[in-house]
Amino acid sequence: MAARGHVQDPNDRRLRPIYDYLDNGNNKMAIQQADKLLKKHKDLHCAKVLKAIGLQRTGKQDEAYALAQEVAALEPTDDNSLQALTILYREMHRPELVTKLYEAAVKKVPNSEEYHSHLFMAYARVGEYKKMQQAGMALYKIVPKNPYYFWSVMSLIMQSISAQDENLSKTMFLPLAERMVEKMVKEDKIEAEAEVELYYMILERLEKYQEALDVVRGKLGEKLTSELQSRENKCMAMYKKLCRWPECNALSRRLLLKNSDDWQFYITYFDSVFQLIDESWTPPLEEEQSLEGEVHYSIEQAVKFIEERITEESKSARPLRGPYLAKLELIRRLRCRGCNDEYKLGDPEELMFQYFKKFGDKPCCFTDLKVFVDLLPSSQYTKFISQLLEVIPLSAAAESEVALPADIKALQQHLCVVQLTRLLGIYHAMDKKEKLTAVRELMLRYRHGLEFGKTCLKTELQFSDYYCLLAVHLLLDLWLEEGEETAVWQCLTFLEEGLSHSPSNAQFKLLLIRIYCRLGAFEPVAELYSSLDAKHIQHDTIGYLLTRYAESLGHYAAASQSCNFALRFFHSNQKDTSEYIIQAYKYGAFEKIPEFIAFRNRLNSSLHFAQVRTERMLLDLLLEANISTSLEESIKSMSLSPEEDDIPWKDLRDNRDLTVLFNWDPKDRDISEEHRKLSLEEETVWLRIRSLTLRLVSGLPTLSHTIQPKNSEKTAENGVSSKIDTIRSLLQQLEAAVDSGKKFLEQKIQYPVLGPPPTRMAGFFSNGSCQCQTSLFYLVSDIYELDTNGLEDSAEIQERLGNSFKSLIERLTDLFNKCKGDLIEVRDGTLKTQPNLLENLVFFVETISITLWVSSYCDSVLRPFKSNLQKKKKKKKESSVAMPPVFTHFLDYVTELQTLTSNVIDHIKGLEIILTALKLEELSLKDTLLLQEEKKFTKTVQGKVQSSYHHSVQEIGELLKKRLDTIKKLKI
Amino acid sequence: MTSLRAFTCDDLFRFNNINLDPLTETYGIPFYLQYLAHWPEYFIVAEAPGGELMGYIMGKAEGSVAREEWHGHVTALSVAPEFRRLGLAAKLMELLEEISEKKGGFFVDLFVRVSNQVAVNMYKQLGYSVYRTVLEYYSASNGEPDEDAYGKYLFYPTLNGKVLLCVPGLSLCFVYREKVKVVVV
Repeated sequence: MAARGHVQDPNDRRLRPIYDYLDNGNNKMAIQQADKLLKKHKDLHCAKVLKAIGLQRTGKQDEAYALAQEVAALEPTDDNSLQALTILYREMHRPELVTKLYEAAVKKVPNSEEYHSHLFMAYARVGEYKKMQQAGMALYKIVPKNPYYFWSVMSLIMQSISAQDENLSKTMFLPLAERMVEKMVKEDKIEAEAEVELYYMILERLEKYQEALDVVRGKLGEKLTSELQSRENKCMAMYKKLCRWPECNALSRRLLLKNSDDWQFYITYFDSVFQLIDESWTPPLEEEQSLEGEVHYSIEQAVKFIEERITEESKSARPLRGPYLAKLELIRRLRCRGCNDEYKLGDPEELMFQYFKKFGDKPCCFTDLKVFVDLLPSSQYTKFISQLLEVIPLSAAAESEVALPADIKALQQHLCVVQLTRLLGIYHAMDKKEKLTAVRELMLRYRHGLEFGKTCLKTELQFSDYYCLLAVHLLLDLWLEEGEETAVWQCLTFLEEGLSHSPSNAQFKLLLIRIYCRLGAFEPVAELYSSLDAKHIQHDTIGYLLTRYAESLGHYAAASQSCNFALRFFHSNQKDTSEYIIQAYKYGAFEKIPEFIAFRNRLNSSLHFAQVRTERMLLDLLLEANISTSLEESIKSMSLSPEEDDIPWKDLRDNRDLTVLFNWDPKDRDISEEHRKLSLEEETVWLRIRSLTLRLVSGLPTLSHTIQPKNSEKTAENGVSSKIDTIRSLLQQLEAAVDSGKKFLEQKIQYPVLGPPPTRMAGFFSNGSCQCQTSLFYLVSDIYELDTNGLEDSAEIQERLGNSFKSLIERLTDLFNKCKGDLIEVRDGTLKTQPNLLENLVFFVETISITLWVSSYCDSVLRPFKSNLQKKKKKKKESSVAMPPVFTHFLDYVTELQTLTSNVIDHIKGLEIILTALKLEELSLKDTLLLQEEKKFTKTVQGKVQSSYHHSVQEIGELLKKRLDTIKKLKI
Repeated sequence: MTSLRAFTCDDLFRFNNINLDPLTETYGIPFYLQYLAHWPEYFIVAEAPGGELMGYIMGKAEGSVAREEWHGHVTALSVAPEFRRLGLAAKLMELLEEISEKKGGFFVDLFVRVSNQVAVNMYKQLGYSVYRTVLEYYSASNGEPDEDAYGKYLFYPTLNGKVLLCVPGLSLCFVYREKVKVVVV
């Protein structure tokens, strides 16, 4: 391209206003301006593309696409058109079209560095690795710049990563990549650090560890300077792979001498010492001990080394935790090996005590010691705790009163002991009375501690917040293990009190969320969650806190909203990540490319993503199908089809952060790997049931309207019969999923209170929704049979349908019975709640909705039969044409359905009245010990729960009323 | 007692204990990926012996080399509440300064809310001084720092280390170890 200097291309000037309109979001004006320009300059292709962008952005996708293809067919080579088309295709989510565009462009202008590099990036966006490799080399031939060459090499690595056949990757792609780099090395053309990184990556993947080590330690390795200890880390990784324990040891020793606080090097130091001991390694006589210098290969040396680190530490300006914790780690390892050498190191109990004396005032002291508490014998727990307590300066105003800390330091130390007390199970072993006393004391300490934080900003935490949390944990034990109903109200009271003093404490909020949900009160949760300001990736990691409960408690609007937030995040992921994969090529961050791709996959196969996708659609159908739009239209607008299953069942990733809530429980009560595994299993089975339900519902409209009753033979060949086959096969799959769900529940798994929330599956089975819903889908199959068979000779089918209708009504009535009862009531002076009634009601509404969709299918089948009969009747002018029994069955059934639904609506109205009338102020709480402040908060939380129930009942009632209206249409 | 290592994408799934803090922003995925793709060495995370993430620092290199304004910038620095008061933030700053130095940076700068007194004091202790106050740095509605906001303010020569007027509600720009010759215009 010739240098234009200052002379502006007249086309640029002409196009400028259109760009400006587009930038300002004024798409209409952009289109007009483009039209105007095109009248004068017919060949100004770019104007067409810009017009297409305007059209695309105003929702006229088809027109935009047609216009774009018009220009693309001309294979443009001007920058403006190419760039505009790239933008357009990206907005259309058609990145593959960009590759076509630049393929044509480089053919016409084969020496353009720019177009070739655009082509490379276009391939990168769609992951065409082989073509990237070629494009990179083509680029390098035009302009021999190193990065282009290495883009090509990296594309080979990507081919090897994506190859299904590992053999192919190890024998073809990687060796080729290796040879390509070797060629550059031989010609002494390696320039950048990224190139060395890439070389290392290839050798590592080829398992050529020795060669990789040589590169890192050699001249090329000198380029590895950017990252933290980049060279050392890479050497260490290779030493480990090569089992070169002397070097591993010497290197970690050296790194620890430099920084005696880096935990990872203690780990490699210990690992290597014990490996060397097991190998009975002895240093060579003549040469140096190892490539990396001095080696430690005996327990004595290790002990001495750690003791030296401790001595050194005492000289450092800032106390370092590393050396002390390393000593405990060494003891642990010695014990595991059954060594009795630990006397040299001291008694762990004493060491932990010393550690506490030194670091007890740091908030992390608990987390540090937690790792090593299994070194304590359980018989010593109480003694250990009292020993710690003795050294904390606490003072009591009077003999009988609780001794309190006088400053933050003492408070922090005491808090550490309280946390350890819980970790050692001492609180768990207490009886009810002792627990209540402990709660009182903790709350007293909490409130006392607030005086140290009077100057804290709203964004800071109060020093004594953990006391409050620990008190609540104790109360939760009382509630869930000893059935103490008042305890849960106290939990909420204390947490709300805590939050009022420490408004940004996320732990208070999270715990409140979990407890409110357990009580069936979703309304306060929405606000708490939004104050956490969770966004982006957090939709995936903690979004489950919302989505598990919003819908199941009848907060449909909130459920919709939270699903939408999550979906918006997941959908943007695909586009976002491709952009940065390309950037990683540009900046030579090669090791990040596979990482970004793995990250994208992890998000795409997220369990939560699949769940919100499925639940969102079910919810939309529940709220709209056959109310505001027909079921058929709703399903069409979601592009749902019964055949399609887009859930990556085998690769589902559980990205939930299940440890986001703190807890101090002993190991045997804590959330374990096993719990995670079980929870994922449960979630997956439940998701399968939900997804099959959705697909079955989406199959309903495919069955109706298309039937030619008399041609039953023929239908076997056309599409409709395969539709019923799909439905029947889905129904079988549903049965299988239900079976595995039942088997899962038979294990009666109890997750820890703050662990993964159980799914709705247990309720689905126990309240009878499951039986109702499956029998509904069987009904579909029978109706279909009647439809294809015709009314004649169908007495048997008709009778079967009649029976099905009857038993369905019975089942629905049973389900209704499970919804009866008081949601909230005052009994023996305490407030009792039955949140499961709410969940059952929600299931009822969902089941009724499916019932109605199936019934309207049935209606669509029976209606033509009836009008045919009526015509016949008129012709024959006889009254003797008997109505087939199925009509009476159906009419009776619809009437009963209507009565039942009205009854449920009346019941809901009743609940509303009770909830409004319930005067909580009059509730004389049994616990007379309540302080004035507590009473205030208790009132608040009870009010919140009451209002939330009211909200649930209202939303559920409104939806059910809408459903009732649709029943009226079913009277054939 | 900490393991220091490069931040990876998978850490995004585990950093809630750090990020559920009112002063720590959770950015959109593109923002993190941009840093990881462009300045991976400026993004370091600290891990506790029990495996919990303790804190992280995220930064970048920017500015014109010719005008001796090439420097390291700290975009985010956060430590989980339970791992505070261990000097971890200082350690992470030290590492970033070291890397910036290696990359030829003339200085390191960062922005902090005036209201975030704890951070303001910490940076002062680490030898940083207030360079200017910046209007509305954090005001961008999408929650991500408005990149344009500081472009306008940052590079005006001022007297080294001179503390400008602090007005609550504004943000401060801190500068450390300025190698630039100060030109008063």
